[in-house]
Amino acid sequence: MTDTDLIVRVLTSEDQNAFAELVRRYQSPVRGFLARMTRGDTHLADDLAQETFVKAWQKLHTFRGSARFSTWLFGIAVNEFRTVVRQRKELAMEEIEDVVPEENHCAAEPPGQLRLDLTEALERLHSGERAAIVLCCQNGLTHEEAAQALDCPLGTVKTNVARGKEKLKRWLLGYQDYEPA
Amino acid sequence: MLREQNPYINDDGFTARVMTALPRRRQYYWLRRALLLGAAAIGTALAIRWLPWESLPAVDLSALLSLDFQAMAPWLSVALVGAAILWAVIAAVEWED
Repeated sequence: MTDTDLIVRVLTSEDQNAFAELVRRYQSPVRGFLARMTRGDTHLADDLAQETFVKAWQKLHTFRGSARFSTWLFGIAVNEFRTVVRQRKELAMEEIEDVVPEENHCAAEPPGQLRLDLTEALERLHSGERAAIVLCCQNGLTHEEAAQALDCPLGTVKTNVARGKEKLKRWLLGYQDYEPA
Repeated sequence: MLREQNPYINDDGFTARVMTALPRRRQYYWLRRALLLGAAAIGTALAIRWLPWESLPAVDLSALLSLDFQAMAPWLSVALVGAAILWAVIAAVEWED
């Protein structure tokens, strides 16, 4: 069943199973996005994700269908994150400017280590850049969809994606020659 | 590389927790709008029926410009009633759950 079919079932028949299917489909990307935004605080990310789906349940009748359901859902998740940022200033921390780039590692570094450093590098980005990168590059949203979810101009999203990618490349430079065994 | 480093997160009961946390859906969200619009319509009808239109003075621009509130009082009452009705209509249309 498509997302639209499920949404229609929820709105017309109060079909909780249909909404549960929507939650199952999108729990991973939403939780993953919020985990990135909260800099790895998975408990907080899951709390925000749960609140995101509760809000989606309450506001489902306002979903117009002009955008993808995932875009609309990410928009709610962004608002939930911004709400908690107003309460917890450390989450709004700007990019750490004086980060010393990782030393160049030898080519024998395992993929697990690469994933850890990418996680660290993403956490060091400015929240706007991090959000744009995670939405566009990890979750496949177009720039236009990301701008809609983030409620910011398209140009800002494009700039944040470009700057974020540039910084990630610079910080991860030591891994570009990695070759698996 | 970014896509590859975005692993799937197992549900591990997350969906079940969300479903137990869902509030009872407000099935009648349209009722609030209907009540507000209904109240606005009744208020409009009563205002049209009961306001002393015959005793309203002619609009006096000089009194308006000189802010003569005593002269403008009847029209201020009409304006207040109109504003209240307009407020109810806007609230009904713009209400967000």
